Amino acid sequence: MFKTEEMEINLGPQHPSTHGVLRVKLHLDGETITRCTPMIGYLHRGVEKICENKTFFQGQVWTDRTDYVASVSNNLGWAEGVEKLFGITVPRRAHYIRTMLTELNRITSHLLWLGTHALDIGAMTVFLYAFREREEILSIFEAFCGARLTTTAFRIGGLREDLPPGLEKLVRAFQARFLDCIDEYETLLTENRIWKKRTIGVALLNAEDAIALGVTGPVLRAAGSNYDIRKAFPYASYAEMDFEVATQTAADTYARYLVRLEEMRQAHRIINQCLDGLPEGPVMAKLPKVLKSEVNEVYHAIEAPKGELGYYFVGEKGGQNPYRMHIRAPSFINLQALSKMVVGRLLADVIAAIGTLDVVLGEVDR
Amino acid sequence: MASPRYSLLRTLIPFDIYGGMKLTGKYFGKVLRQANRGLKRTHVVVEYPEVPTTLMPRFRGRLQMIKDEQGEVKCVCCMACEKICPTQVITIEKGKKEGRKTPFPIRYDFEMERCIFCEFCVESCGFDSIILNHQFELATYNREDFSHAMEGGFQNMFDPTPVSHYSVSSED
Amino acid sequence: MTPTLTQYLVISLLQIVVVMGFVMTLVPLLTFAERKVIGYVQVRLGATRVAGGLWGAQRGRTHQSRTFTGGLNGFMWWLGRWPVISIFRGLPMFIADALKLLTKEDIVPIEADKAVFVLSPALAMVAAFTVFAAIGFAPGALFYFPAKFPYLGGLPFYGFLTDLNVGLLFILGVASVGVYGIVLGAWASNSKYPLLGGLRSAAQIVSYEVPLTLSLLVPVVLTGSLNFNEMSTRMATDIPVNGLVGIGRTLLMFVGFFVYTTCGFAETNRTPFDLAEAENELVAGFHTEYSGMKFSFFFLSEYASMITVSALASAFFLGGHYLLPFGLQPTWNHFFQNSPSAFLAWTCTPSILWFLLKIFFLLFVFLWVRATVPRYRYDQLMDVGWKFLIPYTLVMFVIAALLRYAA
Ligand code: SF4
Ligand code: SF4
Repeated sequence: MFKTEEMEINLGPQHPSTHGVLRVKLHLDGETITRCTPMIGYLHRGVEKICENKTFFQGQVWTDRTDYVASVSNNLGWAEGVEKLFGITVPRRAHYIRTMLTELNRITSHLLWLGTHALDIGAMTVFLYAFREREEILSIFEAFCGARLTTTAFRIGGLREDLPPGLEKLVRAFQARFLDCIDEYETLLTENRIWKKRTIGVALLNAEDAIALGVTGPVLRAAGSNYDIRKAFPYASYAEMDFEVATQTAADTYARYLVRLEEMRQAHRIINQCLDGLPEGPVMAKLPKVLKSEVNEVYHAIEAPKGELGYYFVGEKGGQNPYRMHIRAPSFINLQALSKMVVGRLLADVIAAIGTLDVVLGEVDR
Repeated sequence: MASPRYSLLRTLIPFDIYGGMKLTGKYFGKVLRQANRGLKRTHVVVEYPEVPTTLMPRFRGRLQMIKDEQGEVKCVCCMACEKICPTQVITIEKGKKEGRKTPFPIRYDFEMERCIFCEFCVESCGFDSIILNHQFELATYNREDFSHAMEGGFQNMFDPTPVSHYSVSSED
Repeated sequence: MTPTLTQYLVISLLQIVVVMGFVMTLVPLLTFAERKVIGYVQVRLGATRVAGGLWGAQRGRTHQSRTFTGGLNGFMWWLGRWPVISIFRGLPMFIADALKLLTKEDIVPIEADKAVFVLSPALAMVAAFTVFAAIGFAPGALFYFPAKFPYLGGLPFYGFLTDLNVGLLFILGVASVGVYGIVLGAWASNSKYPLLGGLRSAAQIVSYEVPLTLSLLVPVVLTGSLNFNEMSTRMATDIPVNGLVGIGRTLLMFVGFFVYTTCGFAETNRTPFDLAEAENELVAGFHTEYSGMKFSFFFLSEYASMITVSALASAFFLGGHYLLPFGLQPTWNHFFQNSPSAFLAWTCTPSILWFLLKIFFLLFVFLWVRATVPRYRYDQLMDVGWKFLIPYTLVMFVIAALLRYAA
């Protein structure tokens, strides 16, 4: 007489908390998820194909536009990948400055994540507090390279220009108050009973599953693994830096929250070391006028805020463009874990899971 | 982490929420007192457009050509900027001008709608003849307003873009 | 002097106009206050200007010349120079909001059940506003018409509509009708997100009605009254704070107040219990398909029920028309009733001022909490209601009964 049926519901592509144009098809039994399929591609621009038609020098501007909240990290991956392809050695000072800016960028990315994730779970105020600090870092980027979001910060072989006068003061002023700011976010969230209820035990993903799915970054480290490319395969000047890899073992949303907060603290430490130990010298290596590649292939991975960001280049003889270019985008690969995390849980947990994976749709779709 | 001895007490009395309320209350009080345009303020709002924003010296705005002291166009048509531009928005035509030894760009078109403000063009120019100025209020209602050209064109390369709330062409 | 029937009707009408006018202006002001309070908490300014200006919107002014659009915005910009007045910048926003909602297109989805779709916002609104008939804002007469006043000379003008002796019952009964507006509206929209929101809301309000009522029973048992005026009078005069019983009463009221406020948050669908309209999960919850005036009906009824909950809390826990909350007033009266200072003696008398101040403070707390805490999940909300609040209130109820017995 009466029959119950599953409800199919589309979360997105226009939805307040899918962080862009992610569409998640959900099958609901009451409010319990029985099936979850993320559908992507709404922001596909063919960045990889475009980059194959641009020179190595020009290609960097497209990396700004994949993960647009961590563009400095992407620039670093591109620049170092190309340098590896051509065997260019970058001056030490340039490495230090790159490291510093990348860590600042890690903080902006995590702050944006923290703000939006907390907003999704209903805590509105953390969002604005996090953006207050993010704003300050973006001004530092503006002072360094002239743009706040699409930075194009580095050049192949080093940096375009040295640090502008006064930038060190800006960074130090930010450093001086940032730890207190993290404490503020913690006051609002860490011990809060509602926050704990909404995050502890939610969206579990244990280490085996994470490794099997190729998930990297804070999501993996919250499951107990300490895989961090900054330590495992040091690049830039991370080998000279003294920092710890933040790990947790609970593998849930709360653990990922703690890992990211700790990463911000570690980033703060690294920036201080970069500022204190900044070596003198040039910031640009000697380069040939036109870069022409040999038949060669290179994979270079860095620890982007969201996980392992890899750039894969294939060169052809005498080519000014990469013959093939591929981005191993952490957001794209981490997003696979979504269905594993949410099946059998409630609708509200999907929102928490999307937030905790920290996907940026520009990078998922490319 | 406090000891588990008080865990029942902590469940019954929401200290955690009290801590958060204290913090937000503190900010509320501070901003309430300093919500005006005083020197000392807690809030982070810039009341744009009434208060102009401050830009860093390296800010990358619109592409602009510059002239030297004699009022002569500095560009010598080396085409470096045209070649480096990732979005190919610069189109240059080489030409001659009387009384000038170096080549003169008779056509220098810049389509701002596709420019991504990367500053590669300025970097590649060995003659310092172009800059990215500090303009960012560049929105208009018309596509034509984005096409910049040498003097005599609709929008010219040498002056900052006139900023308007409404379309230039619909202005009576 | 007893009024004749027509005089009585005229005065009642006037009272209705005054009380409803007060509520109807308080609600939009509350939306403005919400913008401001949450803005200030979040280290920004909230509303400071009205788009385009209500008059004198000007064409073609450039950013470079740094002029303003419209005289009103210019005035508000000027206000921004002064330390305290600058808080009221953006006040015209609430008029603009109302105008916007009034003039928006009213969309009824084709697949919706039209009659129910139209009816349910009205239901929610009527339920939320009828409640004010039984709320005693003022103690006794607000003022007397002067003797020379035509027709009504010498008659009292009350600050409330009716002085029901079962005021609390009436309020709880009528307010619980409001949930039908939400559920029916959600169902009639014939859309998935509203359906989920409506179901959540139904379950939530039904389960939170129990602890809400139980916690309200604590002061009712302690004083033995359901009437607003009598409640505050008895609390101020009957309960002496001396001995263990008195202290126990005060403590119980104190705890009861917090429990009641928690349930009140759930009753009014406010953060941390705003699951029915959790915009990050359900887009806009039960009113996703509503627009224009119909949406604003839901909106207004939510804010109106916030005022109701605050009024109940201040009458039943915070001492109502008297200065001090939690039954501390008798002690205060004991010391200051016959004090020579006129001001101190005045603080011992009931006044509408205290009542309104308490309501405003509680409304502020509503906004403050909204800016601070995250949102519960659906099942956790049920947990909190059934496993935490109901046992808590039951225990309190028993203690209250024992205290009553001991007194
Ligand atoms: S800024 Fe970049 S995109 Fe714009 S014209 Fe120059 S090179 Fe081209
Ligand atoms: S690079 Fe400079 S000089 Fe060469 S064409 Fe461009 S603007 Fe002219």
